[in-house]
Formats: sequence, C-alpha cells, structure tokens
Amino acid sequence: MADLKSSLKDAVRKLARQTSVDSLKKRGVKQVNVLGLDRIVSLIDEAVHRSLRHKLLSSEREAVVDATKEEFLKLLRSNEELRARQERAEEESNNLRLEMQRLQGEIDERVAEASVDLVAGYEGENAQILLQIQSLFANAKGADDPGLVAKVQELVVKLVTEQRHEVEIAQAAARDREIHNLQRRLKKLNDSLEFTEQKLDEVSRMKNVEEGVASVYRDVQGLKGGGQEVERKKELMAGLFAANMKLQKGG
Amino acid sequence: MSDETTNANDESAAGKDHGVLYIGMDLGTSRTSVSASNGVRETVYSIVGYPKDVVSRKLLKKDVLFGKEALEKRMSLKMYKPLEKGVLKYSDGDEQERMEVEKAAQDLIREAIRMAKPRKDELVYAVIGAPAQASINNKEAIIEAARATVDSVMLCSEPFAVAYGLDMLEDALVIDIGAGTTDLCRMHGTMPDEADQVTIRIAGDSVDGKLAELVEASCPGAKFSVQMIKDIKERYAYLGDPPERVKVTFPVDGRPTEFDITAEVKEACSVLVDPIVEGLRSLIASFDPEFQHKLRDRVLLAGGGSMIKGLDTAIEQAMHRDLGGGKVIRCEEPIYGGANGALKIAHDMPEEYWEQLK
Ligand SMILES: Nc1ncnc2c1ncn2[C@@H]1O[C@H](COP(=O)(O)OP(=O)(O)OP(=O)(O)O)[C@@H](O)[C@H]1O
Ligand SMILES: [Mg+2]
Repeated sequence: MADLKSSLKDAVRKLARQTSVDSLKKRGVKQVNVLGLDRIVSLIDEAVHRSLRHKLLSSEREAVVDATKEEFLKLLRSNEELRARQERAEEESNNLRLEMQRLQGEIDERVAEASVDLVAGYEGENAQILLQIQSLFANAKGADDPGLVAKVQELVVKLVTEQRHEVEIAQAAARDREIHNLQRRLKKLNDSLEFTEQKLDEVSRMKNVEEGVASVYRDVQGLKGGGQEVERKKELMAGLFAANMKLQKGG
Repeated sequence: MSDETTNANDESAAGKDHGVLYIGMDLGTSRTSVSASNGVRETVYSIVGYPKDVVSRKLLKKDVLFGKEALEKRMSLKMYKPLEKGVLKYSDGDEQERMEVEKAAQDLIREAIRMAKPRKDELVYAVIGAPAQASINNKEAIIEAARATVDSVMLCSEPFAVAYGLDMLEDALVIDIGAGTTDLCRMHGTMPDEADQVTIRIAGDSVDGKLAELVEASCPGAKFSVQMIKDIKERYAYLGDPPERVKVTFPVDGRPTEFDITAEVKEACSVLVDPIVEGLRSLIASFDPEFQHKLRDRVLLAGGGSMIKGLDTAIEQAMHRDLGGGKVIRCEEPIYGGANGALKIAHDMPEEYWEQLK
C-alpha cells in the first residue's frame, strides 16, 4: 500500500492547480479551505479498504486496488476538467462582453454621424456657388442681363441639390447596412453570451459550490468511560444497532 | 494544497478540529428538524411541492420546493405531505401514488440533510427519529433516501430520541404531541419495544379540527380557513385559567368582525387530555407494580403540541383524578427535542456500529 500511497500523492500533486495568493486576492477571495494531500490520500485509502472489506480473496486484491485507484483518479481529473471548463467559460463570457461593448460603441458612432446637420453646410456651399456664377458672368462679355444670371444660378443650384440628394441616399443606405450588420453581430454575440452563461451556471451547479460548515469533531466519538450510566447507555446503543442491522442488512 | 491538512478557516485557525459530522433528524408529520455537530439547527415544514407543468418549472426555476416556499407557490405545484399520520401516506393499492409519496419523502430527507450543511470531505453519520409506527417499507424508504447523502444512518423511534436527549432513560414516560399523532413511550433502561409504546391519533390536528367546529358554531357567518385556525391555536392555546382574552377577527359577509373565542380555544385544547391520561394509564398499569409510582411521577411533555400553556398542569390534575397522582414536566425545546436527542445518540454510538452499517 505504501507504493500506492506515494504514487497517488504524486498524482494528486500533479492535478493540483497552482494559484498565487495575490491572484486569489484579486478575485476577492479572502478565505481558502485547503484539502490536505494526506487527507485526500487517506480518503482514497479508505475507498480502497471499503471496497476490499466487502469482497475478496487476496489474489483479486491487486485488481481491486488498481480499479479503485483509477476510479478515484478519474474523479479527480473530472473535477479538474470541470474547473477548467468553468474558467474557460468565464473567460469566454468576459471576452464576449468586451466585444459587445466595442460593437455598441461603433453603432453609437454611426448613428451620431447620420444625424449630423447637413443643411447648414449646404447653405454655405450654395452661397459660394452663387457668388462664383455671378463673378463668372461679370467678367464675360455681353452677359450683363441680370435675369439670365439669376436663371443660370437657379439651374445650377437645382442640379447641385439633386446631385447631393442622390449622394445622401447612397450614403445613408450604406450606413444603414453597416448599422444593421453591427446590430446583427451584436445580437449574435448576445446569444452566445447567454449560452456561455448558461453553461457557466451549469458548471457551478455541478461543482455544487456550497462549502458546508465543519463539524467540531475530528474523530468518531462514541461513549467513553465506565460507570453504571455509561454501561446502560452502551446497552441501549447495542439494542438500537441490532434493530438497524436487522432493518438494513436483514440480520 | 499542502502536505498537511491545513484549513485557513477562522474556526480551525482557532484550533477547531473537523472530520466527522453527526446529524440528528426528527422526521415529523408537520415539521422536519435537524441538529448537527457543526452547530447547525434548522427546521422545515414537511411539505414537498413539484411544479405542475413545464411552464411552472420554468418560472420557479426549480424541480422541487419545500416547506413555506412550497406553501407560498402552491398554486403552481403538486403538493405532498409525505408523512401524514406519522407514516408515508398513500392509499393502498395505488402504485403510482405510492411511488410519488416515497419520492417526496426521500426528497424531503435529502433537503433536511442539505440544511445541516455537511462538508464534502467529512464523514457524515446520521440518526433519524422516525414516527414510532412507521411500517417496514416506510423505514426502508427513509434509509434509502438518507444513504444517498450520508455515510451511515440509523433509525430510532421519535419518543426514544426525545427521552435519550434529556437523559430520562429510566422509569420515565415521554409524551410527544405532534400534529397527526401523540406518541407515548415508556423508558425503563433498555430499548423500548412495542409494548412500551402507545400511539394516539388525537394530536395537534385534532385540536385544530375541534376549534374549527366550535368557531363555526359560535361565530355565525364567520369565514375562515384551516390555516387561520391553526395560527390562532399556535398563538393562544391554553388550558386552565386564560392568560389573556382570545379576540380574533373573521370576515362576515365581507366585513371584518371581532369575536371572543377564549372559551372555545380552551375547550378545543382539552380534547388532548383524557386520551393522553388513558394512554398513560395503560402504560403504567402494565408495568412492574413496584415501580409504577416512579413512572407516574416522571412524565415528560414534548413535541409542538406540548406548547399549549397549562397543559402540564391539566394533565397532572387529570392524573390525580384518575391515577391517584403524577408529576409532569415540560421539554424545554419542544421543536428540537427529537433532533437534539437523535444527535446525542449519534454522538454516543460506538464507531464499530457505524462501520458495520456502511
Ligand atoms: N405554540 C403552540 N401551541 C400549541 N400547538 C402548537 C404550537 N406550535 C406548534 N403547535 C402544534 O404542534 C404540532 C406539530 O408538532 P411537531 O412539530 O412536534 O409535530 P411533528 O413531530 O411534525 O408531528 P408527528 O410527531 O405527529 O410526526 C402542530 O399541530 C402544531 O399546530
Ligand atoms: Mg414529532
């Protein structure tokens, strides 16, 4: 058994996760419960003993020892696995949140852009154009008919306005597409966040994180000492045990 | 992880050991209580509810609810009181119902153990005080449910647990007044057997029933529910001289109306006295004549029903009248008497017995 014990110790040690006190603090952990290596090994030991008691010839013992050991290691590993899965899920959900924040920011930007007041800008531009046409006509010969200037001005502004309108429509469509795409990505992210959190929830439920409250006793107690009172109680305990033996093991 | 068993918990830093957790449980008709060697004490109404359909399950986010919470959500639950009348209750021959009730009892036991907050790395040994008259099948179902979460478990009769907890092992009579049954148990130094126990079907529920009947008769038109009656009883129950007037309000034609039911409360509580004294008489009369007076002078009142004010004196007076004398004392903690006693038994049980029952 000594060999088994030390190899188990090694195995358990390998499975253990290293964590620094600082990183625990960062996560807000103030108390840790440490399960002693010896305690774990003795648990395994007990598991082995327990299965041995019920069975077997000595020739079969080795097989049982191995099987039990494997069983326990499997358990430990699955525990480790669970913890890893939880960490992965936590990380994933954090990343998803960050990505969602970024996307939302982008969307907000686009929306803000869309509502910038274009009209004010156009008015300045229009005035510029009108001025330019006027000076063009002023320099041209025989074109001092004010009616004609006004007509040309009107025509040009109309053309420019139409042109602008087309560009605006095209731009708005492009932006809408972009916003729409961003929103779709946001929704997908949100869905997968929900999924991840559900997984996280499942994992923590599986781990059954409830710690429990420690008993005041380290060992099995039982009646101690002598005297008439204790003897009588011992008899009562024996009677109760006998009744339970009959009930639970049929005799 | 370290090579030594270190525990950075505050308690153990102060040198507290851990490793074996004892749980004492009183599995009652109306209430299930646990008391454990980690200092935890909890009680829950023995009521189990399962969501009626998928929608309720989604809304409640739970597969099973217990006690008060189940009562509050009862509209969307299928409810069970798995220990009605002191045994797992189901009508004979209905296999489906039997299985459902058994499952409810088992879920309740698991919940009670969870309430004791056992740690995953401790050995857990439990003693369950079960109704004295539980059938073999019931007992097996109880054991099976407990085994799923504890390392070793023993059943004992409820009144025995109460007596053991108070060190009344010799020449004593225990009266445990519950909701469905009143259990009487004779203690004479050895394990009580069938002949030492009497179960009476008159208990807390009978008081409720009687009070409802009396209120119905004396408060014309008053509308009330069983629960209202029970609450009134638990607040005012008394025998002997009234400590205060019992004034309650019931709606009559929708208008809140006050009634004085002082006399009714007393009369309802009195239904317990004669049957109990009759039970005591039979247990005393069949005992060794030399020690009969000793039994008579050490009667212990326990269970929720024993909280009726003046009940000890009322029983004593009836004993003087019918049995020529008697002395009745009260258990100081009626609610936890059974659980505390079961915990003490667990503590005193020798290691090899636990081992053999694993
Ligand atoms: N203050 C009180 N005064 C009178 N009766 C009370 C009081 N508190 C509780 N009860 C009654 O005690 C009964 C429940 O007692 P207890 O909790 O000991 O029952 P139980 O152990 O669950 O039932 P059983 O022993 O029948 O299995 C109920 O009828 C309840 O109404
Ligand atoms: Mg009880």
